[in-house]
Amino acid sequence: MSDRRPISVVLADDALLLREALAGALSAAGFSILGQAAEPNRLLELVDRHRPDVVVLDVRMPPTHTTEGLEAAGRIRRSHPTIGILVLSQYVETRYAVDLVRANPAGIGYLLKERVSRVEQLADAVRRVDAGETVIDPEVVGRLLGRPRAHSPLDELTPREREVLAHMAEGRSNGGIAELLVLDAKTVEGHVSRIFAKLMLEPATEDHRRVLAVLTYLRGK
Amino acid sequence: MLVMDAVRWRLVGLGLVGALLAAWASYGPFLWATCCHETVTAQNQVWLLASQLAWVGLLLVTYARDPAGPMWKLVLAYLAARGAWAIGYISSDATLWDVAWTVEQQLFRWAYGAVLVHVALAFPTGRLRTRFDRIFVRFVYAYVLGLSAIHALFFDSLQTGSIPPVRNVLVVWPNNELASNIEQVAFFGVPILAAITLWRLGRRWKVATPAGRRALGPVVVALPVSLTILSLDRVADASNQMWIVDAIDNLGILQLHGLILPGGFLLGTLRTRLARGSIADLAVELRAGIPVGGLQPVLRRVLRDRTLELAFPAPDGDGFVRVDGRPFEPSALGGNRVTTTLRRGNEALALLAHDADLEAEDPELIRAVGSMAELALANERLSAQVRAQLAEVRASRARIVEAADAERRRIERDLHDGAQQRLLALATRLQTAKATAQGAGDLVDEATTELEAAVSEVRELARGLHPQILTDLGLGPALEALAERAAIPVEVRAPDRRYPVAVETAAYFLVSEALTNVARHAEATGAVVTVSHQDDRLTVEIADDGSGGADVRRGTGLRGLVDRVAASGGSLTIDSQLGKGTAVRAAFPL
Repeated sequence: MSDRRPISVVLADDALLLREALAGALSAAGFSILGQAAEPNRLLELVDRHRPDVVVLDVRMPPTHTTEGLEAAGRIRRSHPTIGILVLSQYVETRYAVDLVRANPAGIGYLLKERVSRVEQLADAVRRVDAGETVIDPEVVGRLLGRPRAHSPLDELTPREREVLAHMAEGRSNGGIAELLVLDAKTVEGHVSRIFAKLMLEPATEDHRRVLAVLTYLRGK
Repeated sequence: MLVMDAVRWRLVGLGLVGALLAAWASYGPFLWATCCHETVTAQNQVWLLASQLAWVGLLLVTYARDPAGPMWKLVLAYLAARGAWAIGYISSDATLWDVAWTVEQQLFRWAYGAVLVHVALAFPTGRLRTRFDRIFVRFVYAYVLGLSAIHALFFDSLQTGSIPPVRNVLVVWPNNELASNIEQVAFFGVPILAAITLWRLGRRWKVATPAGRRALGPVVVALPVSLTILSLDRVADASNQMWIVDAIDNLGILQLHGLILPGGFLLGTLRTRLARGSIADLAVELRAGIPVGGLQPVLRRVLRDRTLELAFPAPDGDGFVRVDGRPFEPSALGGNRVTTTLRRGNEALALLAHDADLEAEDPELIRAVGSMAELALANERLSAQVRAQLAEVRASRARIVEAADAERRRIERDLHDGAQQRLLALATRLQTAKATAQGAGDLVDEATTELEAAVSEVRELARGLHPQILTDLGLGPALEALAERAAIPVEVRAPDRRYPVAVETAAYFLVSEALTNVARHAEATGAVVTVSHQDDRLTVEIADDGSGGADVRRGTGLRGLVDRVAASGGSLTIDSQLGKGTAVRAAFPL
């Protein structure tokens, strides 16, 4: 983030109005929009040509308006592993998000579409994906954490620990969590190791490995 | 007082005529002093009399069975033709006797053989079925009568020195050597014609239905047996194998053989007649009461036709339906099957698809059965029509649900791709505007918050209409997502595979509504959703640990579930004892 070169973005969404609005908002936030596509084939073409830092794409695209976005994300992942991908989705269902990041959580994000109205949240997600972090929408994480459970080690967590866990699930690093919660990094580290102990998880050092461990734990029964 | 109707009087008359013909054929010759040849003794003729009386019996039975039909006339013709033999023994000087002798002995002496072929191929109805049979029988008549007539032109009976002398009035060119040759030729053709007759009979047997075979059976046995004995006797006689002739004679085979043919015909006719006797069985069954749908097996038994099918006019007046409501296609009938419409007045009551022989054998039988079972038929017709309507209603209900599901998917798409995108675009533009329009910032923020709330609402609305995850990933993941949003802990056990869309949709909404019910009424602390499939059905169970005591009759929640499942052709059971939780189980056909 420190270098002054603007992050370059290719956009894909079949709703013209929203795509234009998004492009406008991201440009205004200092991103460089290299191209826009309305459907997956055009998107892949643009990605091949422009090699953007990040691709922002809608989960629903022609021709069937189901999961073309997810498939396109997978293809870009395979052909250009270094390009960050941010999927915008209408679905809170956790399965989509977990499936998306499962193979390789580095530099990939799943954000609910309504976040785009808050440009700072969208911009933050794009920057994090560009930096190789994982981004999981807070509402999706909320659904994972909020699921009613009969007897669960989650009940043992303090409210603060739950908060830290939620941010871990969103893909944030210790530094990021500390910044958000206005704590110092040492304290966050303490919380994290206590959470891992209570949930009986193997401590993971890499941030995106940690996301996967937490998501898998939360998705489990 | 015994009341005799016309048919009975005619039966008596026919019996007398037949008895006279039989007596004439066997003992007529004894009326003349010159009689008889040493082999023609009163004792031997007993067998001929017995054989002829058996034919008289056949005459009476066939007449009683079908007075309007041709069968009994054929039998009478046979008796008359057979009686002609006796004239050969007449002894008289009168010219009139010469004429009678010529006509009977020279023209019609062998006619009975042709009539026999006719009877065998036309049995039991008296009607020839195929073109081939009709042509063949005509040929046999022409062969027998034609060769007899030609023979008569050359045969000089006076030269044979018969005692008493009798004159062939037809002789034009007396030449007994030629006449004898003609006779040889005529006899040569007999085995061929016999073989063709047997072949035709065998063919009829092969294509006959069970009812047809019942009648044909004794004849198919009797005719070859009779012919074999006869030809064995003749061949042995001709080749001077006298020990065979003697054996046949001593064992009484030749004598008994005269009974085999009429016996076979009589048995065959009586076996068809037995069917009418079984109308009494129908009366008994009708009295005992026949359950709806039970009439067809009863009619099969009574009419002895295992292929018989019963159908009724469709409720919309177009076509026919079976008693279970399924459509019936009369044009698809195969084999030797025909249909008869049973009526009550002018109104068509039922359609009977049956063996064609049934009608040919006894035209009255089906009508008698129809009028007897009128009430039961009317009952079954009503039931068939109601079931047909029910099937139609079921189909239309399934179509309505399908249409509603499709409509939900369409609205969900419209909400996502239309309203939501527009709202979001607007919110994004507002935010962009905020950066430039200072002071209006707070107002813009408020508007954005409102818009975001609207977007969330639209999203949830769309999801409620049709969850995209169901289309994308199937039942298991969709139920898992449902469990995540449930108000109580829900465990989902579902195989990770796809099912037909209609079944997945029905099962999903069943679980969704059932879980809503659990959250609302059951006071449960948890629920388990189990999906499994065996062969051709998908089973879904939603079990909670709540208060139980749920009742379909109370409240619309469970009623709605029952309707939903029924519309997909599935079935639903609810097990809900007080204090023991509730288990809703549904089975869907795959």
